[in-house]
Amino acid sequence: MRYAALLLVVMMTLLAACIPAPGAARPEPITFMIFGDTGEKAAYEALVAAFSERHPDILVTLLHIPGQSDYRKRLGVDFAAGTPADVVLLNYRRYAAFAAKGALEPLGPYLERSELISGDDFYPETLEPFIWEGQLMCIPQNLSSLVVYYNRDLFQAAGIAEPGDNWTWADFLAAAQALTRDTDGDGQIDQYGLGTEVSILRVAPFIWQNGGELVDNPTAPTRLALDEPAAREAIQWFVDLQVVHGVAPDAVAEAAEASESRFLNGRLGMFFNSRRGVPTYRTITSFDWDVAPLPQGKERAGILHADAYCMPSVSRQKDAIWTFIEFANAAEGQHIIAASGRTVPSLRTVAESPTFLDPGARPVRNQVFLDVIPYIRGVPVMETWVDIEQLTADELARAFYGQASVDEVIRTATERAQPFFP
Amino acid sequence: MSHTRYQVSLYLLLAPFLIGVLLLVIVPAALSFGLAFTSYDGLTPPDWLGFANFRHIFADPLFRTAVLNSLIFVIVTVPMRTVIALGLALLLYRPRRGVGLYRAAVYLPTVVPGVAYALIWLWLLNPLYGPLNLILGGLGLPTLAWLVDPRTALLAIALTTLFQVGEGFVVLLAGLQEIPNDYYEAAALDGAGRFAFVRHITLPLLAPWLLLVVIRDLIVSAQNTFTPALLMTGGGPYYATLFVPLLIYQTAFDRFRFGEGAAMTTLVFIGVGLLILLTHRLFGGWGYDDAV
Amino acid sequence: MMMLSNRPRYQTFVFHLLAASIALVFGLPALWVLAASLRQPGTPPPRTIEWFPDPIAWGNYAQVFELIPLGRYLFNSLLLAALAVPLTVLIASWAAFAMAQLPPRVRYTLLALAVALRMVPITALWLTRFLVLKELHLIDTFAALLAPAWMGSSPFFVLIFYWSFRRIPPALIDSARLDGLGPLAIWARIAMPLARSATVAVSVLTFVQYWSDFINPLLYLKSESRYTISVGLRILQQLDATNWPLLMAGVVIMMLPIVLLFVIVQRAFLVEGKIAGVYGN
Repeated sequence: MRYAALLLVVMMTLLAACIPAPGAARPEPITFMIFGDTGEKAAYEALVAAFSERHPDILVTLLHIPGQSDYRKRLGVDFAAGTPADVVLLNYRRYAAFAAKGALEPLGPYLERSELISGDDFYPETLEPFIWEGQLMCIPQNLSSLVVYYNRDLFQAAGIAEPGDNWTWADFLAAAQALTRDTDGDGQIDQYGLGTEVSILRVAPFIWQNGGELVDNPTAPTRLALDEPAAREAIQWFVDLQVVHGVAPDAVAEAAEASESRFLNGRLGMFFNSRRGVPTYRTITSFDWDVAPLPQGKERAGILHADAYCMPSVSRQKDAIWTFIEFANAAEGQHIIAASGRTVPSLRTVAESPTFLDPGARPVRNQVFLDVIPYIRGVPVMETWVDIEQLTADELARAFYGQASVDEVIRTATERAQPFFP
Repeated sequence: MSHTRYQVSLYLLLAPFLIGVLLLVIVPAALSFGLAFTSYDGLTPPDWLGFANFRHIFADPLFRTAVLNSLIFVIVTVPMRTVIALGLALLLYRPRRGVGLYRAAVYLPTVVPGVAYALIWLWLLNPLYGPLNLILGGLGLPTLAWLVDPRTALLAIALTTLFQVGEGFVVLLAGLQEIPNDYYEAAALDGAGRFAFVRHITLPLLAPWLLLVVIRDLIVSAQNTFTPALLMTGGGPYYATLFVPLLIYQTAFDRFRFGEGAAMTTLVFIGVGLLILLTHRLFGGWGYDDAV
Repeated sequence: MMMLSNRPRYQTFVFHLLAASIALVFGLPALWVLAASLRQPGTPPPRTIEWFPDPIAWGNYAQVFELIPLGRYLFNSLLLAALAVPLTVLIASWAAFAMAQLPPRVRYTLLALAVALRMVPITALWLTRFLVLKELHLIDTFAALLAPAWMGSSPFFVLIFYWSFRRIPPALIDSARLDGLGPLAIWARIAMPLARSATVAVSVLTFVQYWSDFINPLLYLKSESRYTISVGLRILQQLDATNWPLLMAGVVIMMLPIVLLFVIVQRAFLVEGKIAGVYGN
């Protein structure tokens, strides 16, 4: 029976190895999950460090997921496991799927009780999208809009004026054409005028500027409205940048070297991005860069980019978690993140403070981000928006890279999106 | 030690394995089957939906695309991989000077980790800077956009798998070495041609081993598309490399439609089960058995 | 063997030419990867094949470690593999030993089970395995990554041991039983010493399996401090998808231990005679 006993011991050990040892009786740390590149990560590390100085009794650990798609997957898996991080950053385009399932703790009541911050301190443009069925679900940290990052050295080398505050679609195209060059004369273009992700998010401001809409009714959408003439015309203009004018990398060039890499390496004139690129772009030493507003169409419009601090409803220690969220979105916390360049602060006072408008740090034309706020618009907030966004991106890419006509992709996108509308 | 006690002890030795199988395969498989009929999303308790998930899947053009892509992939890769493994085994099975080195070179790509392998090929197939296109261009041949062109992306991924044939290669080497030396000597006396020898003697004797390699490959190759598809193309361009495992991953882990993911999973089980039964019928054996 | 020495010279030449060019096709990419990993990042890649980048940027390797905590990931992967190998050998060989000794009917049932398990599409189990691991409170632990070792990591490993044990002359085991030895003693004193090449093969394959594992850490890990090298490479790719020099440096770092291990034990795999010991009788 000796070996049987031995066997039992071995099995017990193996089992024991699999069961996590009960932790010592001290408060569990609060976990805070973010995504972003290393520059963004550093900003949140600074925030957590400042918080622990103020609240040494509350321990916060940062969970960093670099890629957005991995971040989404992690959220889903963690929520399914019943063990989401205590604080998660969610975009206004994505939180609805969680809010609709009751997975998020509404933060409106907390904000009302708070002595540090009040709803009036925030730009209403950024609070409004986080209201789900009458309740504020999350506390937004920022309201970035899409802007044009541009390489000043390349503009100068091409002998063209830098973009003005009121430049038009035509000015934009002319600049992009002047910046698109075969620098070594081998017949291959090595410097492009424009780099952009191809998605509904990038096209949307141009659709709005042209008087079009993404959906039939922004507050209660029932179908995509990209087939309306105004929207269609804007999409055609966007697609033509690549297909007709060739000022953006084609599919092959984009796969060979991503546009953002090209921009960072000084071989791309203009790059569409929200505020989140700034911490990384500040590390650029080989050339000077700045930001310009999106070129204007028939009317002014910008697109909202906003992430918010959300609290999963299964979290324990809700008060400690709120203390952290409150700190992060009070002036001190927002100053820290703003100093890194990561956000356009959602608190009016911080956004208009020298921390954000700091003339010593790039981009010099920070005011561009604030000037657009009155004209900023958001995509519809709905549970299935992620699906709609994904499939329209797949369709738009076909048109942008010349594999299908604009009419064809609008037709298939509208058809494929229909099941995701109520 | 009594016979009974000996037997009981044997079962004890077997127990950890059986517990593992129960927890990691049988329970999850059963759960999958159950969830397939529910609305489970990980956030709220599952609701019974009957066959709604299945109806939804069958109506979904993406699922059809994924199944079709997976089938094309299997049909393209399995025969080619088998032929390559067989050819290499025939070339390298006899002991010669330096043969160990050649075998090692052939086997090496097989042990390269999946993530590293995908990244390597992403570089090799880079449409502008990748060595493959540079060589084609240097030889004056037309270059291809490989993973970027919807028409060639699936074939490009299929191409990458042709170098990971180590397992089949080793199994066939073993099979070839099992063939008694008498055959070779007899054939040498007969003066049989090399080709005729392979065809009439080697291949028939190798048949069970080949069967083993083919069955294994049929099942594994469709599964193995996940890592390359996720890292190299993300299923694109325009769903050209969307395979079933990637679609299940996206449905379940990206969109949190666990019920629908489970329904797809159940269909995969049924599909693979039918495939195995069919092979079993056709060849009258498993490939693996006590005698092999 | 006799025939070999009589083989005409030109045939030997043709063989080596053919075999060497095949080896080249299989090995050349490794050299390209190495060259690509030593290019200066940020410069536009050349439009011709470059064998020796100029200047050689050894700094890429240091930079990868600065960009992501690669040292930690490597340690985790190593730890994982080091735990998985003995566990796998133990559980797979026990199961195989029992299978080889049990009465024919049970044996065939188990054999069919192992073969059937080999056919189960693993992709089909991701989701519900996750739910099982969650119930066992194993999400975000190394135990979740080690879980497959509970079933011998792969039914194939059980089969490798099984074939090996079936080749042991029954008389040897019978006489040990007459001496009063129990199964564990026979397994330890007779079966395992006779199954050395199977043990080596299973150990190496297990190491490779856990070192390379991508899906399990991707799905079942949460904390960055537990990430493994596969996930690390994925992170590197997500940070900058087209920074080829750094990506290739990461690839080289990940491949190196595997290649070294393989070079060390390749004789056990590929040199004739041993091979049959590994794959069937």
